[in-house]
Amino acid sequence: MTKGVEAEQILRKRAQALARTPPPPASGTMLELLQFGLASERYAVECRFVQEVHPLRDLTPLPCTPAFIAGIVNVRGRVVPVIDLKKFFGLPERGLTDLHRTIVVRGHDLEVGLLADVIIGISSVPAASLQPSLPTLTGIRAEYLKGITDQSLVVLSVDRILLDPKIIVHEEVEG
Amino acid sequence: MKWNVGTKIGIGFAIVLVIFLIVGAVAYRNVVRQGEAADEVTHSHEVENELTQLLASLQDAETGQRGYVITGVDSYLAPYTAALSEIERHRTQLGRLVEDNAREEAHIDALAPLIADKLAELQETINLRRTKDFAAAQTVVLSDRGKRSMDAIRGLLREMSSEEEHLLKMRTDVAQLDARDAKWTIVLGTLLAVILAGLAGLIITRDIAAPLRSLTRVADRITVGDLGVTANVGERGDEIGQLALAFDGMARSLRTMAGAAEQIASGDLRVSVQPQSPEDLLGNTFVRMTDNLRRQIGGIVEGAAVLGSAASQIVASTAQLASGASESAAAVSETTATVEEIRQTAQLASQKAKAVADTAQRAVHIAQNGRKSTGDAVSGMERIRTQMDAIAESMVRLSEQSQTIGQIIATVEDLAAQSNLLAVNAAIEAAKAGEHGKGFGVVAQEVKSLAEQSRQATEKVRTILSDIQKATTAAAMATEQGGKAVEAGAKHTEAAGDSIGTLAAGVSEAAQAATQIAASSQQQLVGMDQVAVAMENIKQTGAQNMVSARQLETAARNLGELGQRLKQLAASYTVG
Repeated sequence: MTKGVEAEQILRKRAQALARTPPPPASGTMLELLQFGLASERYAVECRFVQEVHPLRDLTPLPCTPAFIAGIVNVRGRVVPVIDLKKFFGLPERGLTDLHRTIVVRGHDLEVGLLADVIIGISSVPAASLQPSLPTLTGIRAEYLKGITDQSLVVLSVDRILLDPKIIVHEEVEG
Repeated sequence: MKWNVGTKIGIGFAIVLVIFLIVGAVAYRNVVRQGEAADEVTHSHEVENELTQLLASLQDAETGQRGYVITGVDSYLAPYTAALSEIERHRTQLGRLVEDNAREEAHIDALAPLIADKLAELQETINLRRTKDFAAAQTVVLSDRGKRSMDAIRGLLREMSSEEEHLLKMRTDVAQLDARDAKWTIVLGTLLAVILAGLAGLIITRDIAAPLRSLTRVADRITVGDLGVTANVGERGDEIGQLALAFDGMARSLRTMAGAAEQIASGDLRVSVQPQSPEDLLGNTFVRMTDNLRRQIGGIVEGAAVLGSAASQIVASTAQLASGASESAAAVSETTATVEEIRQTAQLASQKAKAVADTAQRAVHIAQNGRKSTGDAVSGMERIRTQMDAIAESMVRLSEQSQTIGQIIATVEDLAAQSNLLAVNAAIEAAKAGEHGKGFGVVAQEVKSLAEQSRQATEKVRTILSDIQKATTAAAMATEQGGKAVEAGAKHTEAAGDSIGTLAAGVSEAAQAATQIAASSQQQLVGMDQVAVAMENIKQTGAQNMVSARQLETAARNLGELGQRLKQLAASYTVG
């Protein structure tokens, strides 16, 4: 019996040692973020815009489109254009594989897929901790940027991307 | 004495024969007389016997009669009846025996009535006893008639017996007288015959044996070669005289021959012997001998000349022969020494060849062992190759299976990725659900964490698998190289085995060759020994030859001297 009692005490000690105190609940509004990797950098988008995440399959390249349009994919019967953000950010290309993921976002009556190298996961960030854009960022990066978390995570603004008139492609090929 | 020898011997024998005839006749007459006397004695004894028998028969009859008279029983009459016939038979026998003697016959005639009277008395008493009685018979007996007649018979028989004894004595005296006479006659006659025969033998011996002895002496002298004797037996015309004359003739003839031989002996071969007759063996032989001697002496003279020259030639040749023999002896000595050296060399070669043969034999054994070992090595290599093949096959299978594992890992990875995505989507949905979806969000987070772990695990597995695959590949390559090495090794071993086999064959041939060489050298050695022995023999023969040559030389010199002597000898003969 003493042994059983001792074993229980030992087990309890170990459980207490291993137990992590949960982080204190954040005060204020929380921001749900979907983190993903582009090249070697980490980015995130707000979850309320995200429809779902897909593996990149059956990408059909579209001719006569800007370079940032990777092609179109079929997602449950809907044709969704896929935008390659690296083209915006001028990040190095490594070619497309089926390890790439497509993040389907919706907003402002527009549904597009954002091409991501790696999906990292969901995380909640207090909205207050979001810092404004860095002064070093310029150009389009600064344009699409919503803020940077204290973990140096770049949060993109889906609104701005979707509202960007450059996204709407209307070109005709003469000839 | 004009009688010849046969007549003399005949007369001598005749005298002795006549005397012996007389003695024989006297002896014969005496023997006949003795036989007659013996017959008469026997006759007298028979008569005596018959007389006794007759008396006994009469007494028997009387006895039977008395028995009957006393008893009156018939059975007592048996002697009486048996005696009756006996009495008659003896009486008749007596009569027959004495019929040559008148006195005895008269006695028999007187005896007959007495016997008849006695028998009648006996019959009468028996009849009286049978018809009347004992008393009647007794009266007759008591009358003494029977006794008287019986006494008369007894007296007569005694007289006859004494008569016969007197006769017997007389005859015996006569026979004894005759026997004495015959004894004297035989003794004196034989003595006379012996004396006469001795006398005749003496005379004949003196007359014949003495001259014969003298002739024998003459013959003995002639036998020992004394031919000067003559047979001197006086003037005799008989066979002895003739024999003496013949002996003298023979001696004369032999003397003639001896004279001729004396002449030949003194070397005069001109003598010519005349043969006494065509059958004269000695004379003819002498004639032939002188002829032959003449021819032979001629031949000897020629032969002596030839012999002399030949002997001198032989002397020269033998001198050369002796010098040649000494030279060849020296050469033979050198050759013998050389042969001895060669023999020692051959012996050495033989020993070496034997050693080489033994070594080659051992090498053959070693080579055979080596061939066997390489055979074993080849089979071992074969086994190793089989093992290597099995290992390579296992490696291939391992490689294939790791391939399969890789595929499975890819699938698991894919699943992990999908799970991850699913978890992300679930989290998104949970975020959309707001406060209500918080729990679900945690679940999604956990699922994502699981997916992440799965991915990491697969990552690890993939790394390990990759290592395994690398190792497998390396092992496969190593196996292949090992297989190749084993193959090469097997080939090399086989080549080595072939080489060893060739080597073994070579060594075997070498061994055979060495054995043959050893045998050959052995034979050579034996041959050299034989050569040495032969050389020794040649040496001895040479020495003997030298000695023989010297002897030959001496003999040739002797021959020359002999020829010289022969010449002188032949010169001493006068051939005519």
